[in-house]
Amino acid sequence: MRRKFQLGERVRVRDATTLFHTRTQAFTRGRTGVVVENRPEWVIPEDEAWGRDDGRTEPFYVVRFRQRDLWPDYTGFDVDTLETEVSERWLEPAGKEQR
Amino acid sequence: MSSDHDHDHDHAPIQEAPEIDEFEVLETAVRELSIEHGLFSAEDHRRFSEWAQSIGPTGGSRLVAKAWVDSEFKQRLLADGTTASEEIGIDWHDPTGTGTPSDYTYFYVLENTPEVHNTIVCTLCSCYPRPVLGMSPEWYRTPHYRRRMVRWPREVLAEFGLHLPPEVEVRVHDSNQKSRFMVMPMRPEGTDGWSEDQLAAIVTRDTMIGVALPQVSWTASAAPSEPTSSA
Amino acid sequence: MSANRYEVLDAAIDQGDSEPVSGLPQLDRPPSPWETSMQATCDCLSWRGALDALERRQAEDELGETLYAESPVHARSTLVAAHLLMDRGVITPDELQAKMAEVRARLEKA
Repeated sequence: MRRKFQLGERVRVRDATTLFHTRTQAFTRGRTGVVVENRPEWVIPEDEAWGRDDGRTEPFYVVRFRQRDLWPDYTGFDVDTLETEVSERWLEPAGKEQR
Repeated sequence: MSSDHDHDHDHAPIQEAPEIDEFEVLETAVRELSIEHGLFSAEDHRRFSEWAQSIGPTGGSRLVAKAWVDSEFKQRLLADGTTASEEIGIDWHDPTGTGTPSDYTYFYVLENTPEVHNTIVCTLCSCYPRPVLGMSPEWYRTPHYRRRMVRWPREVLAEFGLHLPPEVEVRVHDSNQKSRFMVMPMRPEGTDGWSEDQLAAIVTRDTMIGVALPQVSWTASAAPSEPTSSA
Repeated sequence: MSANRYEVLDAAIDQGDSEPVSGLPQLDRPPSPWETSMQATCDCLSWRGALDALERRQAEDELGETLYAESPVHARSTLVAAHLLMDRGVITPDELQAKMAEVRARLEKA
């Protein structure tokens, strides 16, 4: 499967609510970060939860967020970040930074 | 019930035998009923128990110490933690051939640098790199740690006595998907000439979770004079 | 998921071995053998498809802070696994009660 996102690309986590099992944390939804690493193509958790071994696979990425972008009232320092893995379906392009 | 409990009843019973832990009772009951109902076999349980008893933070300590003294191993470890683990006898596919049901087999080592301090958490459940660190400490599993580590990491680190300067990036890794992470702390000053075993002794579990830094003083007196050391 | 506590679990909950702790680092102790055994049980339940590990973990968070809030974190897997297995009718409260009595008797004799 061709990867939709490149290393260094800014991405936004889709702000979707879901009734399905997911591992995409609520606090990252709607937030923008940068793709810093590729991960293999894995079965997405939305299918895995049903015990399907033949679930849909898709590329995963490591996305790095600035803490300030996750938590507007973050009490640490500007340099602080958080990384987490996200499946491709949860990401959309975020375009160039506008600040 | 045994018959030797026929002493006077007008005083509180003296507890000679160690008190029975009701959680142990419940654990045994759940395990035995599960086996009786065929949910898994006694052999399954033996296999996982044996595995659980064989793991511990020593594995992680050895990986870090080896990487500190062998830069080529360090590159292999950073490139592919799962494969590099095999070099010290840790197989992420134990005990089933495909790993455990909750650990997966993608292992990434996070290298601390003067600019970046890594730390791990799992907000979703409490994923932990069990094959290299053993069973997670109780605090790691608390919602208290998991919620706050992503939100107020510096406060949580301070609670563990770790204060990092403002210019050091605190990078929190939320292992919510398939990968498992472990922190490779920086080798501290004052450890020149130490053997791998001596180095491994200061790489404690907490330094590999990222809530502490290796301290030379922890073993400063013991390490250089360790009798079995060949350094 | 049942929103009520199972009475059969009260004996374990009521032994009150949850001590208030002042901070996370104080919450550190070597696991008892039964905790390691419980971990193996949870692995087996998930491996053989009887009770998914992630489902159990999420139930631990939910029930651990409500129904079983008075019990220590290290006991949550045990309480919640029992709770879920009873919810699903895989084991009944009565047989658990009987089994616990049997185990207790065995431990007392030991």
